[in-house]
Order: sequence, then structure tokens, then C-alpha cells
Amino acid sequence: MIHFDNVTKMYPNQSRAALESVSLDVEKGEFVFLVGPSGSGKSTFLRLVLKEERPTDGRIHVAGKDLARLTNWKVPHLRRRIGCVFQDFRLLPSKNVYQNIAFALEVIGKPRRFIRKVVPEVIDLVGLEGKRDRMPDELSGGEQQRVAMARAFVNRPMILLADEPTGNIDPATSIGIMKVLDRINRTGTTVVMATHDAAIVDSMRKRVIELEYGKVVRDQSRGVYGQAY
Amino acid sequence: MRAQFVFHEVWIGLRRNLTMTIALVVVVAISLSLLGTGLLFVKQVDNTRTYWQGRVQLSIYLCTRSSVSPQCTKNGPATPSEIAQIQQDLKSLPQVIGLRYESQSQAYARFRQEFSQDQSFVSTVSKGDIPNSFQVKLKNTEADFPIVADTVENRPGVDQIVDDSSILDKFYKLLDGARNAVVVVAIILLIAAILLVANTIRLSAFNRRRETSIMRLVGASNFYVQLPFLVEGVIAGLFGWLVAAGLLIAVKTLGLDTLQQYFPFNVQLSATDLIEVIVLAMIIGVLLCGATSFLTLRRYLRV
Repeated sequence: MIHFDNVTKMYPNQSRAALESVSLDVEKGEFVFLVGPSGSGKSTFLRLVLKEERPTDGRIHVAGKDLARLTNWKVPHLRRRIGCVFQDFRLLPSKNVYQNIAFALEVIGKPRRFIRKVVPEVIDLVGLEGKRDRMPDELSGGEQQRVAMARAFVNRPMILLADEPTGNIDPATSIGIMKVLDRINRTGTTVVMATHDAAIVDSMRKRVIELEYGKVVRDQSRGVYGQAY
Repeated sequence: MRAQFVFHEVWIGLRRNLTMTIALVVVVAISLSLLGTGLLFVKQVDNTRTYWQGRVQLSIYLCTRSSVSPQCTKNGPATPSEIAQIQQDLKSLPQVIGLRYESQSQAYARFRQEFSQDQSFVSTVSKGDIPNSFQVKLKNTEADFPIVADTVENRPGVDQIVDDSSILDKFYKLLDGARNAVVVVAIILLIAAILLVANTIRLSAFNRRRETSIMRLVGASNFYVQLPFLVEGVIAGLFGWLVAAGLLIAVKTLGLDTLQQYFPFNVQLSATDLIEVIVLAMIIGVLLCGATSFLTLRRYLRV
């Protein structure tokens, strides 16, 4: 599903590579944690998958597509197959829960009938039944992140990228978020989650890829956050 | 869905920076109406020009009893045989396509009619003051004038030869100058309008950066991201054009048509002329606003 072949990413005016000769494969339906300290290259990895950045060297395939060969006007079609969740939720404050989720479908031109059908389904999936008319500022952090996940998932993407989705949320609420991510993963969606949260990684027992200074230092199935001794 | 969504976004955009939108509409309106006025002027000048081109282009005045020029005092008034000879010679010239003899009484009658509103002036002129003349129509005024003039100049009985177009040239120069001034001001204002459109759209893009970043994230096509801004620019342009159309109609009915009544000849612009200019103004306005917002966005909304 995601294939990195010897990928190096240098940012201009920086001596050290953000990613250095990274090769890895994420299969369809996998759940992968991307761990490592700040500046280790986790976000760069996610941005490369979305083609928000281009690699300095190496090849990237996402959902069977060679990103180097993907023309600019086809990038939106790639992004329709990838859902994204961020630490800061990125909801529209002037729209309620339903409208925020529907927005993701409206802007890709989905018919209204389709939107009316799938948005309530996905609201149920993330556990926000009865809160469809709330505005974002009337919701807790955990609930806002659920809305963001619903928006990311409503178009049934093949891949869900989550950049520290529990970074702004207390541990107890985080468990609920992880349950939703797990539920999404069980529908067959590949999930890649960058995180600092050791407790979550340890409790989930999923594949762990650890980055340090732009290099993969560990790739372990059913891993934990810290070093495996 | 698509249309409704786009128009909703456009409405939000226009309302959010209302002051900029109003400024934009006003500037577009003024620049378009000035440009349109310039175009109406062009048409008016053309109309006047064709009116005169279809009329007398060369007048050959003959000596009368009251003529004071040295030539006439030497030879006395033109005799019938001299007049007949001049007529024959003019007729034989290939450059002459029309020739009309106007006697003193005909000329006096025409004079009285054209200045009928000014009786005091009419009363100061008697029939004998106006000379007999030949009204000559030429194929090509500028090129043929010297040839024809040479043929009759200094003949006994000929007083003076007047090229009507040389008198009109001064009038045209005045009109052309006024038209050019209007067009130059219009172009400067159009440039101001372009900058304002760019600014408004930039502001709008900044106001909606959250929406657009999410749109790009969930895979909205570039066209879809840009469309609300594009429509926003075009709608502002259309509003400006509507105001400009009103102003142009006023310019024609209150300005040009009113001036018309001071002229003895009819060169009034038709409604078709006005509609043509208004439609042209719309095309320019919409293209200008649309293209500017599109180009501005390409810089601000890259993938």
C-alpha cells in the first residue's frame, strides 16, 4: 500500500537530511505506529505520502501509484484515497459536526443524496450519535478529534494517516480515540499513526517503526514504544 | 449540489470582506463606464465624420458685386459665360464625382433655414452678401483637392476655394483629444481595478485559508478550490458592469443626445451603438475580473 524505496528528503538550507535512505513497506490493512523523537522525520514521512513534499532521492509508491509520475492535477485524486487526522483537529469553526464532515464530500463533488446517507453512518462509527448539530467549540478535545476522524474516513479512504492524533488529548480520552482508529482499521483501511504516546503504543501491540535522525532504527511487528531489549 | 455549494461559498466570501467588495464594484463601475464613454465618443466622432464625408467637400465661391478680394475687384462679378466654362471644366475632371451650382438665392434660403433660431443674425445678412458657388464632391478629398484647385484658381470670376474638411479637421482634433483623454483615464482606472481585484481575492484567500487547506487535504480538485474565488471576482465584475451600464445609458441620453440639439445636423448615436458598447464593457469587465482572480490564485493556492 505504501512503498518507500531508498527515500531521502533534504530540505533547502539544512545540512542534515530529514529522511535518509528510508526503505519500507506498509501492506494493505496494516496498523503501523511511527515513533521517534521530534525532528526524527515522522511528519516528513507523512507529507511525502500525501505528495505535499517531493523526495530528494528514491521512489515512493502509494496505493499502487508511483508518486514521481503522478502529475499535479492528479494529486487531488491520490488525496481522496488518503484520510488525514492531525493533532490540532483542523475543523471549521463556523460549521457544525455534520457540516464539517459533509464538507469533505461536498468539495469533491459528491451528490447530496450520497452525503445524506453516509455522514450519519460515520457519525455513529466514531461514537458521536446525537451530537451532529454541535459546533466545534461546544465539543471536548476528544469529541473534536472524533469529528476529524469521521471527516477523514467518510470517503472510505484506503489509507488513514494520523499525525499525533492524541497529542492534545488526555490519556483516558485517548483510549476512545484509539478504539475508533482500531475500528477504522478493521474495515480494511491501512492506518499509519505517528505518535509520542508510549502507553498507547505499548497497549496496542501493533507494528512499530522507529525513526531517529531520519533513519529507520527499528521495524518490529507487535512492538512497544521503548527499545526492545 | 456543486452549484449550490459554490454559490454558498461565494456569498460567504463576498460578505466577509464587504468593504473591499464595494470598493471593487465601484472601481470596476467607474473604469468600465469611462472606457464605455470613450468608446461612445469614438462612435460619435465616426458618425460625425461619415456625415460630413457624404457632404460637400470643396466649395468654390464666385465673385459677386460685393466681393472685396483683389481678384474680384480686378475682374468684376462672374459672368454667366465664365460660370458655364468653370462648370464644364470641373465636370470633365475624373476626380469630381458630384457638382452642384448654388445660386445666391438658393444659398440665402439655406442660410436662413439653418440659422432660423437666430433671426437677429439673419437680418444682418442680405441676399447679395452670399456668393454663388459650386459645391464639389471629390473622390478623395486630401489627394484630389490640389488638382481641382489648380484647375479653377485665379480664373476670372473665382473668388476663393475652400476645403471644408480643413475646417472640420480642427473640430475633429478637439473631439479626438477629448476621446483620448477619456480612454487614458479609463485605462489607468482599469489597472487600478486589476490591482483591487487581485487584492480582494488575496484577502478572500487569506480569510478562507482554513477551508482551502482542508479542501486540498481531502482531495478537492484545483478547479474546485479556485472556483468560489473565481466566481467571486466575476460577480463583483458583473455588479460593477451593471452600474457602468446605467451610467453609460445616462451618458448617452443626458450627455451626447443633449449636445445633439446644438448641432443643426443629425449624428445621434443609435441604441445599437449603445448596446454594443455596453456588451463590450461587460466582456472586458468579466474577463478582467475572472482572469485576475485566476492568476492571483495560481500563486496563492498551489498544490
